[in-house]
Amino acid sequence: MNAKLKETILNPILKGNPITVLVLGICSSLAVTVELKGALVMALSVIVVTGMSSLICSLLRKTIPNRVRIIIQLVVVAMMVILVDQVLKSFEATFPLDKQLSVYIGLIITNCIVMGRIEAFALGNKPIPSLLDGLANGVGYGLILIIVAFFRELFGSGTLFGIPVLSALGYTNNGLMILPPMALILIGCIIWVQRSIQKDLQEN
Amino acid sequence: MNTNSNVYTVIYTTVVCVLVAAILAFVSSSLKPKQDANEKAETISQILTAAQFGEKSEWQAKGNAAVLDFYKQNIAEAVLIDASGNRAGELSAADAAVYGKSELKAQNYNVKDGKDMKVPVYIFKNGVSVIPVYGAGLWGPVWGYIALQSDLKTIAGAYFDHESETPGLGGKIKDDPAFRAQFKGKTVDFNDSKAAFSIVKGGAPAGKANAIDAISGATMTSRGLDEAINVWLGAYKAYLTKNPEE
Repeated sequence: MNAKLKETILNPILKGNPITVLVLGICSSLAVTVELKGALVMALSVIVVTGMSSLICSLLRKTIPNRVRIIIQLVVVAMMVILVDQVLKSFEATFPLDKQLSVYIGLIITNCIVMGRIEAFALGNKPIPSLLDGLANGVGYGLILIIVAFFRELFGSGTLFGIPVLSALGYTNNGLMILPPMALILIGCIIWVQRSIQKDLQEN
Repeated sequence: MNTNSNVYTVIYTTVVCVLVAAILAFVSSSLKPKQDANEKAETISQILTAAQFGEKSEWQAKGNAAVLDFYKQNIAEAVLIDASGNRAGELSAADAAVYGKSELKAQNYNVKDGKDMKVPVYIFKNGVSVIPVYGAGLWGPVWGYIALQSDLKTIAGAYFDHESETPGLGGKIKDDPAFRAQFKGKTVDFNDSKAAFSIVKGGAPAGKANAIDAISGATMTSRGLDEAINVWLGAYKAYLTKNPEE
């Protein structure tokens, strides 16, 4: 693997993380991080959608009329999101999770990361790097989602993946962890930690 | 080729839209049977949970086939009744036909104005009857099933579901077994001047047999569920008071 590809994959996960550095896709990360299970399925769905729509848009990039390019991107993204939703609904194992995430799967369409990566990367690059860029951005998003969901489920419900952990020890659930503002505070903490480790991200 | 000309743009967008529509239509129609089967098993497992045949999560783990088998073996009949409490039809027990959320939603209008109503009662072989309820929570619909003992007054159990109530608050109507457990042993009382059954904010008065505690932090959801239960109980009133002992 050459250095450029490696950069394409690692950058969105660490130095250019869509949530903590670009601060995109915040809305959905507030909504689906109450429980780990939901966050995991959401993360996987976003990875598939960002990866596949970047790939398709990159394949079409030379043919898309410039004036309607946003609309075409939106159609492609919407198609991928509906496909993911339909597939999740079709399997016995994922059906209850799809129910639980309800509207938020559909709202991946409005996730700024997807459109942002197509505009910024896929339209100017070859299909394979675009696919990797999309997937890596999804992973960067999913990683933060899972970290946030871990703390919110642990302290909000006392469980992990629905299995009692803290609640088995007699812990009283902290209701604030379940409410959306706590996700914002947790993301703020993650940004703080990341910036104090990666000093070059700090702004003056 | 000039990709910026008007003609090209129009043709290009048309082709993309038709293509995407075709893909989605194909996928949707080919996955529909599986999705419907999942919906149906979900509904039945909720009914079974309300009727105290195990827990929803256990049924989920056992899989769709086990849920259907158990339902078919234990259901005596599933009848449809009208506003005056008479039988207006039957749901095939052999096909395990049930009214899902969409059918309940459609019937909700009829239940409210009392015309053309056809709502199901699931009667199990052990004498337990399950009736559905449907209404509006805070963010979206709430619905569920209430199981009554053979006297059609005592509540054997209940199960509720919702579309988009806040997890951890309103979502407790579904996720908190303690909330559901409150229904067990309570009664439906049509002689109560206020409401046949009530969910009381701040706690139900001690000793009141037809009231339970509301969920703290979820006033609107509790209120919505209270209304859903009373509106639907009202619709079943004729049936429930007609044949107390069948």
